[in-house]
Amino acid sequence: MNTVRLRLALLRNAPVALFVVVLAVFGSLSDRFLDVQNFTNILIQASHIAILGIGMTFVLLTAGIDLSVGAVMYLSVALLGIYLADASPILAVPAMMAVGALFGLVNAFFVVRLRVAAFIVTLATLFIGRGLALWVTETRMVFYKDQILSLARAEFLGVPWAIWVFAIVFAVAWIVLNHTPFGRQVYAVGENPDAAAKAGINVPLVLTTVYAVSGACAGIAGFVSITQVGAAASSFAMEKEFAAVAASVLGGVSLFGGRGGVAGTVFGAVLIQTVQNGLVIVNADPYIYPLVTSSIIFVAVFVDSQRSRILERLGRRRIRIEERPV
Amino acid sequence: MTATSLETEARSSGMRRFVRRVLFSEYLVLWLSVLYFLAVLPFVPQMASVEVLRNILSDMLPLLVVAIGQTFVLIVAGIDLSVTSIIAMASVVGASVMTGDGGYLAGSPLAVPAAMLAMVTVGLAIGAFNGFCITRLGMPPFIVTLTTMMFFSGAAIWFTTFHTTTSSIANLPHGFVVLGQGNIGGVPNSLWVVLAVGILAHIVLARTVLGRRLYACGQNRRAAAVSGVPVRKVIAAAFLISGACAAVASILYTGRLQTGTPILGQTILLDIIGAVVIGGTSLFGGKGKVVWTVFGVLFLVLIDTSLKMLGLSLFSVFAIKGAVILLAAVIDAVRTRFAARI
Repeated sequence: MNTVRLRLALLRNAPVALFVVVLAVFGSLSDRFLDVQNFTNILIQASHIAILGIGMTFVLLTAGIDLSVGAVMYLSVALLGIYLADASPILAVPAMMAVGALFGLVNAFFVVRLRVAAFIVTLATLFIGRGLALWVTETRMVFYKDQILSLARAEFLGVPWAIWVFAIVFAVAWIVLNHTPFGRQVYAVGENPDAAAKAGINVPLVLTTVYAVSGACAGIAGFVSITQVGAAASSFAMEKEFAAVAASVLGGVSLFGGRGGVAGTVFGAVLIQTVQNGLVIVNADPYIYPLVTSSIIFVAVFVDSQRSRILERLGRRRIRIEERPV
Repeated sequence: MTATSLETEARSSGMRRFVRRVLFSEYLVLWLSVLYFLAVLPFVPQMASVEVLRNILSDMLPLLVVAIGQTFVLIVAGIDLSVTSIIAMASVVGASVMTGDGGYLAGSPLAVPAAMLAMVTVGLAIGAFNGFCITRLGMPPFIVTLTTMMFFSGAAIWFTTFHTTTSSIANLPHGFVVLGQGNIGGVPNSLWVVLAVGILAHIVLARTVLGRRLYACGQNRRAAAVSGVPVRKVIAAAFLISGACAAVASILYTGRLQTGTPILGQTILLDIIGAVVIGGTSLFGGKGKVVWTVFGVLFLVLIDTSLKMLGLSLFSVFAIKGAVILLAAVIDAVRTRFAARI
């Protein structure tokens, strides 16, 4: 039994160990890597994926998936650039969140009311969202004005603006999931929707809310991303949905619902970005970036699946007790 | 009860029966395709020309092969996101074997068969890796195939840089190109290949023990295991088949383009899964047929072609494709709920 405990403890801390290994490897290869400035950079670069992943976590916790987030990012950014080009960020961010939440409600309508698989609904709305965005932009590149671009370098209390947004979204999501009734309902629905319904939880409402949250987060992520990129081409935020899912899963969120949390997702997003940043700093061949990143995600998921297998074996009830020879 | 209310009741039940018959028909998607074809015909009369129809068919072929492989995986309640990376990887590996510009077997008469063998091996190997991780290591299919997709898409590009300074490996031997464009008895070779794959897949699913076991694993894995189905082997087989099908599709694509390129099939992942699901195969396993997939692919390619011919902008093509996938999914959901009620 003790060896099982030990193995569990090892597996539980394996992602952190992985992170330490990554830091050690890149740190020994370059002295610039372990710089405070570099960590700030990593956090800034990771912020939009982390925000996207936080929204995705809500959906994944209910055993759903939202593949439309990349399209929502592009759509909200396109609307901002075309219709609200002169708006201040104070107005722009809520507007983009509203666009995202509205899009999420459309997803939720199909998933909750018509009971279509989330994978297919959000796959379809991915196409529709990108189509709408291309229509809004007339497939042209969209450029942004100074009041948005200046945010890339803006700081508040010495901390870059993007990190503030990242931290606020994380804090709100963490409190909601861990310290509110709604958070518990999300976990309950993900664990077992039928049982949750019997316990009096309004399951359709919870599901609808998580898709709206995911959409709203995608709107924020779009804004954070555009302040850094500066212009939106038609490939803006392409395949970011996979990056967001990867960050969540890397942080221990289960695709089958009910397990994981936003802290894990943030960890996952930062880990992926750390690896990519490290590869750039040590001048690695750009062609091997995806190979290294995908291998690390693979290892993390492998470790996580081993851990849950052991836990499952421990939790299994012995229905038939074998007679042991004396 | 008055006569009129009886009449309306009879009519409504007749209506209901008709709706039910249409909804539950195996050929629903085929009918939708025909309906769609007739609907757009007045706007683009060229659609009915032999040339366009032939184009639709040739666009369908490689997509159909991958989609058939994907059908197997969806039947066991899995998903294979790595198919596009298999297409890319197989394409560049095959091309590197047979290209006239310093290929491993350049000029050798064995070059073409060896290259095709290498391509299928790539597909089988990646499929085997997916299957191993899913069945032996207990990892979720979505994530395993997502990481293999990322890995091999990157690897295909990296591999290309060793063989050429451009983005693709050209100068493939004449024999390979002819194979892709020739015909036997007036029927293009690629059609023969796809027919063979399709019929074989249909027989496996409908007439063999493996087919029964695939459905059993998809419907209820635990029940299947209890009834003595070797669940792990069956699921691994589904991923192997998907890998092999993707490799065959890669041969067809590479033959058509006459170059091996790592960006082959990069954008068709969602088309593949969309087509299979439009056909009626369930993402939750246990339900699916090769003919359904044929109809799904036909429907998707038909829409793609017609939108291009209508000269619609990129945005409408995207949006309409999305709407169609959504519509098909809604119809399927309604159908399933009807079935549950009866």
